[in-house]
Amino acid sequence: MNSREDILSSIRANLSKGFELPMQHIETISYPDKTARFMEISTAVGGEAMLVKEGEDINALLRSTYPHARKIVSNIPEITIANMNPDMVENPQMLDGADLSVVRGQLGVAENGCVWIPQDSKERAEIFICEHLAILLDKNKIVNNMHDAYHDLTFNDYGFGTFISGPSKTADIEQALVIGAHGATSVTVFLI
Amino acid sequence: MSTKHADSAKQFLYYKGSAQWHNETLWFVRHKRDLVSRSLPEWETLRELSSQIKRHTISHLDTYLEQFAANAEANGAIVHWAVDAKEHNDIVFNILKKHKVRKVVKSKSMLTEECRLNPYLMARGIEVVESDLGERILQLMDQAPSHIVLPAIHLKRQQVGKLFEEKLHTEKDNCDPTYLTHAARKHLRQEFLTADAAMTGANFGVAATGDVVVCTNEGNADMGTSMAKLHIVSMGIEKVIPSYQSLGVFHRLLARSATGQPSTTYTSHYRKPQAGGEFHIVLVDNGRSKIAGNPDHWQTLKCLRCGACMNTCPVYRRSGGYSYTYFIPGPIGINLGMLQAPSRYFDNVSACSLCFSCENVCPAKIDLGHQIYKWRQDLNGLHKADPMKKYMSYGMKYVFKRPVVYHTGLKLAPAINKLPRFLIYNKLNAWGLGRELPQFAKESFSEMWKNNNVKSVKNE
Repeated sequence: MNSREDILSSIRANLSKGFELPMQHIETISYPDKTARFMEISTAVGGEAMLVKEGEDINALLRSTYPHARKIVSNIPEITIANMNPDMVENPQMLDGADLSVVRGQLGVAENGCVWIPQDSKERAEIFICEHLAILLDKNKIVNNMHDAYHDLTFNDYGFGTFISGPSKTADIEQALVIGAHGATSVTVFLI
Repeated sequence: MSTKHADSAKQFLYYKGSAQWHNETLWFVRHKRDLVSRSLPEWETLRELSSQIKRHTISHLDTYLEQFAANAEANGAIVHWAVDAKEHNDIVFNILKKHKVRKVVKSKSMLTEECRLNPYLMARGIEVVESDLGERILQLMDQAPSHIVLPAIHLKRQQVGKLFEEKLHTEKDNCDPTYLTHAARKHLRQEFLTADAAMTGANFGVAATGDVVVCTNEGNADMGTSMAKLHIVSMGIEKVIPSYQSLGVFHRLLARSATGQPSTTYTSHYRKPQAGGEFHIVLVDNGRSKIAGNPDHWQTLKCLRCGACMNTCPVYRRSGGYSYTYFIPGPIGINLGMLQAPSRYFDNVSACSLCFSCENVCPAKIDLGHQIYKWRQDLNGLHKADPMKKYMSYGMKYVFKRPVVYHTGLKLAPAINKLPRFLIYNKLNAWGLGRELPQFAKESFSEMWKNNNVKSVKNE
């Protein structure tokens, strides 16, 4: 507790003038077709976004997109091809080796391809540990930019959420871009 | 005469090929930043807003820190306050000890570099695994980062290939970046699965919600924190920002400025501990509160640690991170080093051509170059001014105060053009080292003016 007071009083001793918080609302770029822009930028960041046709069976679509996926993780009831429920595993280590995880995104961002994914199962690891990540997103939930995204997003009770824009990547060896550092090596957003 | 920076830069430049690669690669990153920023008409408005939000936050830092801590605690986090590096290290060690942690995986954190946490923990028997690829490479080589965002930018693929051959048993002579990265993925996956605790830095701490926000491209922070139940965040007190509304501004600037990406792959928001786990946040001062009151240098606290000032700096690009004596190089590092210990890090203030390019790319509009200029004025007071330059200044003062001497000197100057080379190009004349001097003009400007030889050029 002492250090807390030491730091705060040292700050107070050093502050002189208070500056106002500026107006944070600004005119921003907006995209006439947010969905088209979102799909385009998703590809640019190394991912993919595809429109699911009206009435198309999502399980069949997932199956045909990931024909080799064997260990499939999801707790979404409609995802019947899933064979591992992250709420039922004893520990997150059990999710290692997952070929595919299917999670729900809450909103997509047209400027940068980010999708907000609030943790919605016991193990947040499901979002990161899989080889392939499939994100289900309502196509009407795409906003222009991060200002709008931060205005709209919410958390679930788990108290964790992440924006994901494309697959895990690195350029730490000679600035050569390599996909698949630690997280999913492919990320596909299914716009429903 | 030359500073430690200049001496080390000489060694860096000795390897011409890699020096050129370093320069061109970082310039390419700068170029990507230009392209992506120009795609946003509001880019300059965002920079100005970011600068003003930071200025406001720093001038109310006590209020925002208290708000942040209160909200984080209400979310279930345990907040610690560390006056200095030692206290930070003690706090972290005690948490790890309490949980009987043998192995901790870390994601990138310049603050833990500042505190020298890794050697501190390892000396106390804790295994520390860096999980950012670049940081892991450096850890295996026992080296420090040479750039704050691209830590291994000074290395070539062959060096990484050799290292992995020895440490990770990869194929002999295979230095393909994809192959090596995937080998590291496999190796580090095992570390994630078996670590007892995860540590991260913080890009932002949001006062209004108590969130800690961590941005990575690799997903290493996320892997670490979703495997281990214990998460410790090291966060400098200047990382606190008011709200989500301000986070929107900073998020849009950060990755674009750093690497030219529209966003990092992952932007993770840590609000509550994992079920059955603990979430600790260590707030570290280590000199920052005093900087807030420094009229010439408080702006360094606005830094987002994006590294754009390094990528654009002509001196950094051509001298490399290791030429600087402070652990953060480039324009921001020169200033932060001087704020930590001027008599120790004064060598770095020479590493600036005062071109101010850094100020034009900084997403928080820090007056980086102007601050370096100010530090140079302080060198004499620190007894660190270069004696040669001091004598030259005295000499110039003498001459410029005496018009007769000045004009006579000017008249005689062209004679120097005819002197033998060894009299001009020698150790006494630093301006003649490594470059050709211009010829002195036969007629000075004031003579031309008096003789009516200066013609005005009319704009068509």
